[in-house]
Amino acid sequence: MRGSRMDSAGRELGMVRELVAVARLGGRVYWRDRVTLGVSVALSLLLGIGMPVLMARLGVPGVAELHVGLLAMLMTLTAFGQGATVLAARRDQLLLKRMRATGLTDAAVLGGEVVNVAAQSLLISCAIAAALSLLGAVPPPANPALFALVMAAGALAQAVLGAAYTPAISRAEVASVMTMPFFLLTGVGAGGFGPLRQALPAWAGQVLDWVPGVVVGRALAVAYAGGPVSGYILPAVQLALWTAAGLAAVRLWFRWDPRR
Amino acid sequence: MTAIQAAIHAEDLRKSYGGFEAVRGVSLQVSQGEVLALLGRNGAGKTTTIELLAGFRRPDSGRVRVLGLDPAAEPARVRRRIGVMLQEAGFFPDLTVAQTVESWCAFTPAARPAHEALELAGLLPKAATRVRGLSGGERRRLDLALAVLGRPEVLFLDEPTAGMDPEGRRDTWQVVRELAGAGTAVVLTTHYLDEAQQLAGSLVIMDAGRVVAAGGMAETLAAGSGRVSFEAPPGLGPGDLPLPAAVEGGRVVCRVEDPDLAAQTLLGWAAARGLRLRGLEVRRASLEELFLEVGADAGIADGQRGEGARHGA
Repeated sequence: MRGSRMDSAGRELGMVRELVAVARLGGRVYWRDRVTLGVSVALSLLLGIGMPVLMARLGVPGVAELHVGLLAMLMTLTAFGQGATVLAARRDQLLLKRMRATGLTDAAVLGGEVVNVAAQSLLISCAIAAALSLLGAVPPPANPALFALVMAAGALAQAVLGAAYTPAISRAEVASVMTMPFFLLTGVGAGGFGPLRQALPAWAGQVLDWVPGVVVGRALAVAYAGGPVSGYILPAVQLALWTAAGLAAVRLWFRWDPRR
Repeated sequence: MTAIQAAIHAEDLRKSYGGFEAVRGVSLQVSQGEVLALLGRNGAGKTTTIELLAGFRRPDSGRVRVLGLDPAAEPARVRRRIGVMLQEAGFFPDLTVAQTVESWCAFTPAARPAHEALELAGLLPKAATRVRGLSGGERRRLDLALAVLGRPEVLFLDEPTAGMDPEGRRDTWQVVRELAGAGTAVVLTTHYLDEAQQLAGSLVIMDAGRVVAAGGMAETLAAGSGRVSFEAPPGLGPGDLPLPAAVEGGRVVCRVEDPDLAAQTLLGWAAARGLRLRGLEVRRASLEELFLEVGADAGIADGQRGEGARHGA
């Protein structure tokens, strides 16, 4: 009994070690890819920092709401969009197949890629939040640690959903176009484009509330303002449901090989 | 040989894609230290067979055991003990050769040191080169370095020397020989029949998803027809000879099962008539001749080859 428990613990440890190795390789490749650096990193930093700073200088009200909405929107770009794009590209370039040819488990290959994308998204989001606080464009979050935790959970959920979305992407070249609607919906629903949502009918707002990026935005808004615990319950449940749905979709439909 | 003793044991494997049967009842065995050449035209089902054996695909029916394990049920456990050189697989183009191998060391249990794998594959001088700057042959060498990184007990090589220069091919052959000598079971697919003949102790020829010939390399070649030929003597026709013969390009050619015996018969016949058989050549069947012979027979029997090729099976 004790031996089998130790075997199981050893296997889990091995799985974590493998997952970290894949994530580290993904990180190494991420920071060498000029397209990723341009689209995912530079664009996010410019938009995420530049827009609130500009609005604050102009004295426009609601900069903090814009900041949180932009964060949710950019996490859709850097976690969901990047996750779907990276995995579709790895699949089409037969890199997933090559990684599976080693002793890595499928869970370690996929988990490592998802964790890497989520970590890069979290890093960018933290850099944006820290820069805006330092520049005085917005006040710091009420509970920075909790805010960072929500960002981490949001990035991970979005990266899982990005992986789950790849079966719908026929080839890597169309991945950016196919993830763009989610970026735009999050921008409208979470306030990344400003108070556009107020111009929509109520039912449209209720539908947008279920878009994963908008769910992340609501969780971020609660964590930023530092309200009571009850405020976290709905977005936390929604995020957990989306993550579970993403994991189930990956298990059922994830394609390791390109369509031939 | 029992299933337990064999490093690879496959029985009646079948795999279909949609309505197309890529593999139809393939059975084979490979023991430790043996090199098996899996031959066939494009679309014959070789790559699908390797993918079934390596656990990339689950067979529709049939049984596979690699090192006593089911590769479809326990793919990671099997792949920790095998090496796979895929026909097609990508690399990270922005990493250098050394960085690629070092990254793969982290994925491979008990991996060789990276420099040892690079040296084995003849890539040490290219260690600092980005993968995007490698030639096709050099990429195959990198493929080989990754496949042998974990000192595999079973090695699958799918067209390992495609695109390599002659030196690269020779180096790869040497690596395969050394690994087999150390007890690694090797399954090799190749379109270079001289390569198969050089390396393999046994062969399986596939056509349209089926095994059409199998056995030990020497025995199979010995069972194939040989050839005795010489310059056609003036004033003598094939009908004058003691064996069936034909004239091809100014030479008399006799295709026989035992070319040594045929040569003796012809020399005796010529000596008795005071004739000299100029340019006498005695050849056993080459693998290429055998392959073409078997392929032609199978092609007559089955008209689905074109379909197989289209599916890239």
